[in-house]
Amino acid sequence: MDAKLKETILNPIFKGNPITVLVLGICSSLAVTVTLKGALVMALSVIAVCGISSLILSLLRNTIPGRVRIIVQLVVVAMMVILVDQILKSFEATYAIDKQLSVYIGLIITNCIVMGRIEAFALGNKPWPSFLDGVANGAGYGMILIIVAFFRELLGSGTLFGVDILGRLGYVTNNLVILPPFALILLGCIVWVQRSIQKDLQEK
Amino acid sequence: MNTNNNLYTVIYTAIIVAVVAAILAFVSQSLKSKQQANEKADTISQMMTASGFGTKADFQKMGNAAVLQKYADEIEKAYTVNVQGDKVADLPLDKVYSPSELKKQNYNIKGSAEPELPVFVFKNGITVVPVYGAGLWGPIWCYIAFEIGQDGTAVIKGAYFDHESETAGLGSRIKDDPAFQAKFQGEIPNFGSENVFAIVKGGSPKNVEGMEIIDNQIDAITGATMTSQGLDAAIDTWLGAYSNHFLKFSAEEE
Repeated sequence: MDAKLKETILNPIFKGNPITVLVLGICSSLAVTVTLKGALVMALSVIAVCGISSLILSLLRNTIPGRVRIIVQLVVVAMMVILVDQILKSFEATYAIDKQLSVYIGLIITNCIVMGRIEAFALGNKPWPSFLDGVANGAGYGMILIIVAFFRELLGSGTLFGVDILGRLGYVTNNLVILPPFALILLGCIVWVQRSIQKDLQEK
Repeated sequence: MNTNNNLYTVIYTAIIVAVVAAILAFVSQSLKSKQQANEKADTISQMMTASGFGTKADFQKMGNAAVLQKYADEIEKAYTVNVQGDKVADLPLDKVYSPSELKKQNYNIKGSAEPELPVFVFKNGITVVPVYGAGLWGPIWCYIAFEIGQDGTAVIKGAYFDHESETAGLGSRIKDDPAFQAKFQGEIPNFGSENVFAIVKGGSPKNVEGMEIIDNQIDAITGATMTSQGLDAAIDTWLGAYSNHFLKFSAEEE
């Protein structure tokens, strides 16, 4: 794999992470991180929407009229979001999760990462790198979601993926962790850790 | 090719929109039956959760087929009643009401036509009725299960709420907070009166010394005033429409 493609994949996951560095898409990362299962489904949904929308729009990039390009992007992203929602509703295993995530699946369309990557990358690059860029950005977002959800479910409910972990040790669940503000506190801690490792991200 | 030409732009957007619409319509049609099966099992598990056959999580673990089987084992009869409390027709035992069917009956109660309200009776005597109304952002609905006492008084056995798009963490607590649903247990709606049931701020908490216990009143949800008010109105409207049906139980005993 050439260096440029590698950079396309790795950059969004660490150095240019959409949540911790670009601070995009944090509203849904606060809302859907109460349980790991919800965060995982949300992460996979965003990866699918981001990757496939980038691929489609990259294939169409030379035909899209410049004046309506945002509208065309919106139509394609909306289609992908509806498809993901419809598919989640169709399977027994994911129906309950889809209900739990309720409006947030539909709100992927407003997630700045999706449109941001299409506008910044997919419209100017070939389909394969665009697809990888979309997937990598979705994964960068999903990774933070899962880290936040891990701590929130463990400390808030004493469980992981619904399996009792801390409860049997006599842990008393903490309601503050379940509430949205704690996601913000955790997110702050993750940003702190990341910036103390990658010193070049620190603003002087 | 000049992609900025007006004609090109118009034709291009028209084609894109038509293609996307066709894809979505096709997918929606092909997945519809699966989605309806999921929705039906979900509705049944809501009714059974309200009736105390298990928790919602239990039913989720069981899977659709087992939920339908358990329902078929437990249900005794299902029928519709009018506002006078008279039976209109029998319902097939596997019939459940989707939110859109409840919505239609909601319009009927409010006067557009004669309502035909469903009543589901389990073999252990528990009677379940639906409630439908408007929350803050979208529809809310619930199933309320009653135990009919010796003297014909209908006491709430349990309730399960659902919603389309209430705010997560606030209005959505009607569905997600078992403590809120537990507040309904043991309440006795005042059928036949103007105020059948009330969900109000600071309303009759149980187990608080010095507070008067009011049988048809519970405390609303903090931070979800509009959802609580919507739920209050919905319950008043629907249980009001069922009043004559429930009053018949006590009349029969006298």
